[in-house]
Amino acid sequence: MTSGSFPAAMNALNSESDDASALSHPFLDLFPVSGAAVSTLGEFLGSETLSASDAQAARIDEIQFDLGEGPCWDAMATARPVLTPDLRAHPSTSWPAFSRAILDDDLGAIFAFPLVIGPLRIGAVDLYSREPTELTETQSRQAAEMAGAVSRRVLRRAIMRMGGDGNNDDKSNSAFSRRVIHQATGMVLSQLDVAIDDARLVIEGHAFASNRSMMDVATDIVEGTLNFSVQNDGIEASQ
Amino acid sequence: MKASTREGEFLQTFAKLADTLVVGYDVVDLLQMLVDSCHDLLGATAAGILLADDMGELEVVASTSESSRLVEMMQLGAEAGPCIDSYYTGQTVIVENIEQSPPEWQRFRDSALEQGFDSVYALPLRLRETTIGTLNLFQTAPGQMGADDLTAAKAFADVATIGILHERSLRESDVVQAQLQNALNSRIVIEQAKGVIAQSHAVSMDEAFNRIRAFARSNQRGIAEVSAEIVGRRLSI
Repeated sequence: MTSGSFPAAMNALNSESDDASALSHPFLDLFPVSGAAVSTLGEFLGSETLSASDAQAARIDEIQFDLGEGPCWDAMATARPVLTPDLRAHPSTSWPAFSRAILDDDLGAIFAFPLVIGPLRIGAVDLYSREPTELTETQSRQAAEMAGAVSRRVLRRAIMRMGGDGNNDDKSNSAFSRRVIHQATGMVLSQLDVAIDDARLVIEGHAFASNRSMMDVATDIVEGTLNFSVQNDGIEASQ
Repeated sequence: MKASTREGEFLQTFAKLADTLVVGYDVVDLLQMLVDSCHDLLGATAAGILLADDMGELEVVASTSESSRLVEMMQLGAEAGPCIDSYYTGQTVIVENIEQSPPEWQRFRDSALEQGFDSVYALPLRLRETTIGTLNLFQTAPGQMGADDLTAAKAFADVATIGILHERSLRESDVVQAQLQNALNSRIVIEQAKGVIAQSHAVSMDEAFNRIRAFARSNQRGIAEVSAEIVGRRLSI
């Protein structure tokens, strides 16, 4: 079912709704796949499926949580899409345990797109098809962009749930602190070559993950002791 | 001879200010020019302008140095110190000897003394009943500024006020607040742009600001406008 348009899908993903259960639907509307799932992975937000279009999609992510391997993990670790258009003819050798576990499901194709914002590894979107199928270059690019929108939604939601927008602590809310936070945001923009809103989200996300105030994180950035462009293993910020 | 040169400098400054007001201008540029004039012409070691946001909290929008210690000191003065007093009373607050300032100003006093400041003048930015912020002049030696300097500083404060509030719009208070907020928002994008330049050129925030300002000047554009393009990744300098 490929009835939707890309702008409509982006609109749906950019909506302000706190309900994450529909996040997988726009992917299903737009791409020639049988199912889709959106999951957070790893230590940052924990492993959890936020939205799955059907039981099969949920199961694919569940198996990957349990095994700690699979296209989702690879997509997140490398911050790049993992495309397996024909699982039967060309199964991937990167995840032997996962391949064995889904053998009986008789899947045709699996595509995983990373949920990442700068250095923050959040999770992945999984798309599966019962029959082998290709994503065109345009579709692949669109899916990656949609995964970016999902990343922002998921991270904002997580930060909100943990109590506010990450800078409502007294320490970060003085005029002087705000100034430092704005300077740090500009530095992160330059470090990661991302849009200013994403730069701010990276600082918020990092503060959230390390359980510190935005002001403390911003001060480290401005003083040069925290730099997101220098990454030791592609996941952590250097400190 | 010296006096007449100084008068000439004043004339030039006011001519420049008048020009800015007539041609259409960026508020932050205007305020920056004013604080610099306070330094160059009135002998203030440092100067800064704070504006009140919609919650009544004072925020630094222009200062002679972007040094974080100076900015922080002015923010402390806006919590408990001459800046907030001047804002609340709408009167000029003169502190000839910061060391003898009241105990509730302690955080401001410590910060000021630590940076070698001895005296401070805080002038309200006021038009009739509306006070929108303060102009603050800091000196490293007490009593350096004469009566004439204070008169000139008041004139600068008035120009700043007029520059921020186009006088006619005063009747509508929400327009006034919108213009104030606009000036404060400019400061957000300037801080962000400073961060971008500080990171990409490995320079201090102070130097980053100087570069943005120099670029804006040589291209005859506003600091806020140039900053917005840097932050929007449409311009690299």
